[in-house]
Amino acid sequence: MKMKFRYLSHLVFGLAAVQAVLVLLLVASCVLATRQGAWPMIMSITLVLEIGLCFAFYLWVIRPYQRTERMISLFLEGYSLTSLDNSGVSLSPVNERLTLYVKEELNANRLLKLSKRQAQYRALQNQINPHFLYNTLESIRSEALVAGLNSVADMTEALAVFFRYTISKVENLVTVEEELQNCETYFSIQQYRFGPRLKLSIECAPEDKEEIYRCRIPKLTLQPILENGIIHGTEFKIGAGMLTVQLERTEKLLTILVSDDGVGMDEFALAQLNERLDKSGRAFQEDKEEHTGGVALVNVNNRIHLLFGEEFGLHVFSIPMAGTDVQITLPIITSNREMLANEVLS
Amino acid sequence: MKEEVLRMDRITYQEQGVTELNHFCLDIDAGEIVGLIPINDTGMAALIRLLRQNLPLHYGYVYYRGKLINHWQKSDGSFNRIGIIESRSGLADDLTVADNVFVLRQGFKKRIINRKVLNRQLEPFLKETGVNLFADSCARELSAFPRFITELVKAVVAGCRLIVLMEPASVISDTRLESLQQILRHYAAKGFSFLYVSRHYEEARQICTRAAIMVNGQIAKVVSTADTPPETLRCFGVEAYTQLVRYKERPRPSGSDTIPAMEMKGLTFGHIHSLELSLAQGECVVLQDLNNHIVNDLIALFSGGRQTTGGELRVGGKVLKPSRSREIAVIQQQPTQTMLFPELTYMDNLCFTLDHRLPNIWRRSAPRASVRHEFETMLGSKVFDQPIEALTKPEKYDLVYTRVLLQRPKVAVCVQPFMSADVEQRMQIWTLMERLLEKGISVLILAVNLADSLSLADRLIRVRDGKVQAVYGREDFASLPSSAPWHDFWASTDKGKEPDGL
Repeated sequence: MKMKFRYLSHLVFGLAAVQAVLVLLLVASCVLATRQGAWPMIMSITLVLEIGLCFAFYLWVIRPYQRTERMISLFLEGYSLTSLDNSGVSLSPVNERLTLYVKEELNANRLLKLSKRQAQYRALQNQINPHFLYNTLESIRSEALVAGLNSVADMTEALAVFFRYTISKVENLVTVEEELQNCETYFSIQQYRFGPRLKLSIECAPEDKEEIYRCRIPKLTLQPILENGIIHGTEFKIGAGMLTVQLERTEKLLTILVSDDGVGMDEFALAQLNERLDKSGRAFQEDKEEHTGGVALVNVNNRIHLLFGEEFGLHVFSIPMAGTDVQITLPIITSNREMLANEVLS
Repeated sequence: MKEEVLRMDRITYQEQGVTELNHFCLDIDAGEIVGLIPINDTGMAALIRLLRQNLPLHYGYVYYRGKLINHWQKSDGSFNRIGIIESRSGLADDLTVADNVFVLRQGFKKRIINRKVLNRQLEPFLKETGVNLFADSCARELSAFPRFITELVKAVVAGCRLIVLMEPASVISDTRLESLQQILRHYAAKGFSFLYVSRHYEEARQICTRAAIMVNGQIAKVVSTADTPPETLRCFGVEAYTQLVRYKERPRPSGSDTIPAMEMKGLTFGHIHSLELSLAQGECVVLQDLNNHIVNDLIALFSGGRQTTGGELRVGGKVLKPSRSREIAVIQQQPTQTMLFPELTYMDNLCFTLDHRLPNIWRRSAPRASVRHEFETMLGSKVFDQPIEALTKPEKYDLVYTRVLLQRPKVAVCVQPFMSADVEQRMQIWTLMERLLEKGISVLILAVNLADSLSLADRLIRVRDGKVQAVYGREDFASLPSSAPWHDFWASTDKGKEPDGL
């Protein structure tokens, strides 16, 4: 038995009215019982109706109320931004207006634009003029080549390529191939610092490679995680460090596993980090809250949530002294048509 | 392209306000055998319940064969087509193998059952497994391995693309385990997927392509078993246990000049043929039954339920009359469930095998008070006034082993003592058994699977078809197959020498 009501308050009033009628019937049947002896029939019908009413009250009021309350509490815990949308029924018209207002404030498009504006603001704050930066780097490279400093020239070139990708390309989605190229560029810069101590391996099943490399993923998804792996993982490790990017796809999913063999973390730190990733809503609600470490992961995760929904995102696995794996789960998007089908991306 | 069979994505699951699964992530592809190594028991039972049925989640998503079947916003309570094979039987005991496989299947609607047709239908499945199993056999009569195979075939026939195997090594012998693993590989090649739950990494790496390490209800890491993982990973969660074993000092018995605590001379009965065994005082010997034939016979013999037909069993130099003897104490498998009497008090449970040492124990309260006073420091003062059901699992283990300690037998026979125990419990069992050995009580561990027995053993005796096949001293433990738990521990110590501190 499925009935849909828009407001619980209306339903409660309706059921209360039915209840009042039933109580009147019950009183009447008692009066009749004392006068005419015709009470058993009316009484039993009233009782059946009362039981039906209780059942309806549970089905249409209590259960939706419990569901709504659960969704609100999960939203407040920071688990989801869309749970308010999916709560099913509203408590009252005023409550519905309030929910709509909150939803509008937390609209994914708005948040995405807001995050873009923040990035632009930060760029302005840092007084970065991309063209000035590229020209300067190009000049340094020329000077280095003239002076015979090939390694400085190569390093400067890698830095210019990295900044060009990071700052200039404004699209939300790029191909996996472009993102991996950027990772390799970033890695080559880091290798000037770490030397042969640091190694990067990109692994992918040969039969799926072409398809995977054509998939679109949010720009700057992999590089911040790779950077995180170097800074928090291998940098503190004694001896050589190995970073691995493994790519796999199923019919609907693209899974990228970025692993390091660094110092890892204990189970409590791991649970805390995964909680922050799961409760992505909290990151938008509480900008003032400051966390140490894992900011890059949280940012990447939030962007994925905004672009593709909460079913996708990041998850971290780690064991002390045995490395950390960051698993990125994304939908398969290979064409512009699929991009346009996504409200936020279009 | 891989085909996803199960994906549990960021599951947080609570039962009565207690978080059982915490940000739990696990994915299994078609044709894959994935290991699950629980470091502790937190969340294990809940995980099985969640696989079986779509229960309300606090957060997360469950996908089965690419379809979202359960998520935090909606759980319909429906049952999933996932086969779960546990260490205890999931078959209807009074039905035949064919009935269990076909008749109890979801969606079976025939009212008149033609047994011949069922048997004929089952034949190709049994042939596929290569196991000599009859469709007409009654499920009650099946031993662990055929029972596992029956449940496996049942799951395959029911169309379960994912089958969970709960610690098969705890009930199946080593030889049979190899056969089971071959059968699993065969089905995996046909696209079936398996989640293989094991307490030991060494066992999981024999069969699984990946192994997920689970601790406190979260997957800490997923490891590829193709590569040799670093020691930190292999020892994850058991470092304290390894340290405990490595640095515990106990004088090892020489056993040459004293009367053996137990001696079996040409013992013959049931499946046992001319079994020879000698156990020195304070020695720990593991008797591993490679094809799971003799353990039940030996338990029956030690408990007084069976007589030998040939040879003799001597305890402390005297021929044993087992029916009323307190010379041998048998600690059954999972003793917290099988060896405690909830209707008796804690003191009754503790002292009821003490009558041969203190004949007045039940007439006078003074000896009982004295026992309580003596053991309060070891067991804690609160437990003595608690009902048995209110005790925690460690307190129950303490009670069972302290009872044996009080009984002071010559030999304590422990049946699969580490079965289904998490790391903390295994450490406790190890400590309790060490305490028995320190008091000069010999320990005979009867096992079909080694589990943690090698952490304690002075000798390992492997028995096949009721006869001794091989005997290993401590110095030979490193030469055991690498799938044996604690093999790496012994291999990492100097070969032929005792490990540091021992």
